[in-house]
Amino acid sequence: MTGKPERLIVDGRRLDGRLPDELRPLRIKAGILKRADGSAYIELGKNKILAAVYGPKEMHPRHLQQADVAVLRCRYNMAPFSVEERKRPGPDRRSMEISKVIREALEPVLFLHLYPRAVIDVFIEILQADAGTRTAGITAASVALADAGIPMRDLVAGISAGKVDGVVVLDLMKEEDQWGEADMPIAVMPRRKQITLLQMDGNFTPEEFRQALDLAFKGIEKIYEAQKEALKEKYLPIEGER
Amino acid sequence: MLFVSNRELVVPGKLLADEEYQAGEGTFLENGKIFSAVVGLAEVKDKSVGVISLQGRYIPRQGDKVIGIVIDTHPFGWIVDLNSPYTGNLMVSDLVGRKVDVFKEDLGKFLKIGDAVIAEVRKVDERWRVQLTASERGLGKIRGGRLVEISPAKVPRVIGRRGSMLKVLEETTGCKLEVGLNGRILVRGKDPKKINSVVEAILLIEREAHLSGLTDRIKAKLEKER
Amino acid sequence: MKELIASVKKEYLAELASQGKRIDGRALDQYREIKIERGVIGTAQGSALVKLGNTQVMVGVKLEKGEPFPDTPNAGILVVNAELLPLASPTFEPGPPNENAIELARVVDRTIRESQMIDLEKLCIKEGEEVWAVFVDIYVLDHDGNLIDASVLASVAALYDVKPPTSEEWTLPAFPVRGKPVAVTVVKLNGVMMVDAGLEEENTADARLTISTLENGNICAMQKGGSGFFSREEIERAYELARKCGEELRRKL
Repeated sequence: MTGKPERLIVDGRRLDGRLPDELRPLRIKAGILKRADGSAYIELGKNKILAAVYGPKEMHPRHLQQADVAVLRCRYNMAPFSVEERKRPGPDRRSMEISKVIREALEPVLFLHLYPRAVIDVFIEILQADAGTRTAGITAASVALADAGIPMRDLVAGISAGKVDGVVVLDLMKEEDQWGEADMPIAVMPRRKQITLLQMDGNFTPEEFRQALDLAFKGIEKIYEAQKEALKEKYLPIEGER
Repeated sequence: MLFVSNRELVVPGKLLADEEYQAGEGTFLENGKIFSAVVGLAEVKDKSVGVISLQGRYIPRQGDKVIGIVIDTHPFGWIVDLNSPYTGNLMVSDLVGRKVDVFKEDLGKFLKIGDAVIAEVRKVDERWRVQLTASERGLGKIRGGRLVEISPAKVPRVIGRRGSMLKVLEETTGCKLEVGLNGRILVRGKDPKKINSVVEAILLIEREAHLSGLTDRIKAKLEKER
Repeated sequence: MKELIASVKKEYLAELASQGKRIDGRALDQYREIKIERGVIGTAQGSALVKLGNTQVMVGVKLEKGEPFPDTPNAGILVVNAELLPLASPTFEPGPPNENAIELARVVDRTIRESQMIDLEKLCIKEGEEVWAVFVDIYVLDHDGNLIDASVLASVAALYDVKPPTSEEWTLPAFPVRGKPVAVTVVKLNGVMMVDAGLEEENTADARLTISTLENGNICAMQKGGSGFFSREEIERAYELARKCGEELRRKL
């Protein structure tokens, strides 16, 4: 593992050449798995993340059913080969917390009362990680939910904002997450700018916090467009295929 | 005011119309405005706007014809998988059409686990318990034929407006189809080649359900294979 | 949880088999379309994604320093782990590997280990103290039948994709691999032997037999699965299929 770089921002550019308000390259594809009811694959910078949805379906065991609503279950999991030092398979404390906040980020957008006693399972697999996996996972998961035909009020788009070398930046990469001064993952229902996930660790002045929110909302708009494109792309007629 | 055109491809959260219109299927209301809840094609009618979903699980409705698979038994009948979040219950008297003394007759002689059955949804209660019936003509245990499974959202295209697509499939091939609204379709016929043609046509309809001119294209394809 | 397949469909598959036919029109000794992508995961030393029909398996290989086993103090370590991810099938539940995941990992392990495709003795750093450990992590992403063959293909492709770690303790010019073992799984459906079973065929079959072979036709691993049985003749037939199809699979690597 290399040590802390002397500077994370040089001449106004970050280590990968980005400006503070730039997103990493983003690619989203919907419906890439055959068995899952809905699925999506996302690449954000070096992140490679797969999300799949099963449901609504019968909830077993029955004692976990809720009589009047569907239950949403989320599992965030990292592949052993997704990080530099191999991660032992299986849930750890970090992935359990992330699974919970992701579930709470997606619940507001679903009409759970439409499917009493049922369960909707969301699986997020991190195949390659480079910071911002939980918010990219949420972005992919909400595309997968829509791909499964599950009714939603809106999509949920996620991104991180933070502070690096005293500068507020959008979409932290691994080195910035590791050596920066603040990291703030956020997820939003973009249509009405309603925030469904918000976490932070580090040090922000109130002004920096507001700047980070502004940057995040701008980034969210771009991600939202990419999500919608991914969902429509599946259904655009392909010339010459008939 | 309308913000979308007929057959426009929309995604969840898309604003469709305001208070002047009625909310159709696949939509939700927020502050009097109508939004799409699903990925699908907008359907604009005279005074209403809905969205035909292009994906999604089957939700049982009274009167629906379905094809189920028996997954469990109980003393008075069977639990049937409907390719849905909710299973169906089939009482033996609703299959056989008469009262059955379950202590004298072995239910296994009517239906076993793994059997497929054509049934009708008799009733869905407020707790989503689904009662099936299969005693009428044309319903009951499936004894042979080719079972195809597609996305329930695409089944209306296999039927077509006023049954037009179904007619094309049956008349050009001589096969008979039983279409379950829950995405399961039974194809029966004498010629295995013709059955294969129908199955391929059904899968093609599933892939291209969102495109127009489908009925004509399927008709042309099947006639070429005749 | 078992896959749900209607009896009428199983009967149809059995009838087709008795005519030497299959539901997707394939021949009994024909594999589905195979696509292999290498180097898909940058954080792994080697990786591959295999698509076998609609089945998708991803393998990541990571090299780490570790202690050797006491009985082989100057040899590197091979560890194979498989995850039947819940996103790959409605019948896979989250949790620690179950008997199917463990069997899959161990069959792939034996194929790689017994073929000696990795020269483990070249992976010694300091005898008795430190060696290189090769972790092969099999990630099943989409289950449409024949996970074993897909996993072996992906694992071998990933091992050949390995770029040595940037470390002082790495002194070899390249990752020491040689030879390409392949696994061919044959199922018996209504008495008929066929390769590369799709999901419905796999769930209708009486039993399966996996035979891993080397270039010279030698067998390095075998595994019978399922609750049916095979006769001597059927096992001979399975070996013939494993040799013939194995050669075709090897050409894809």
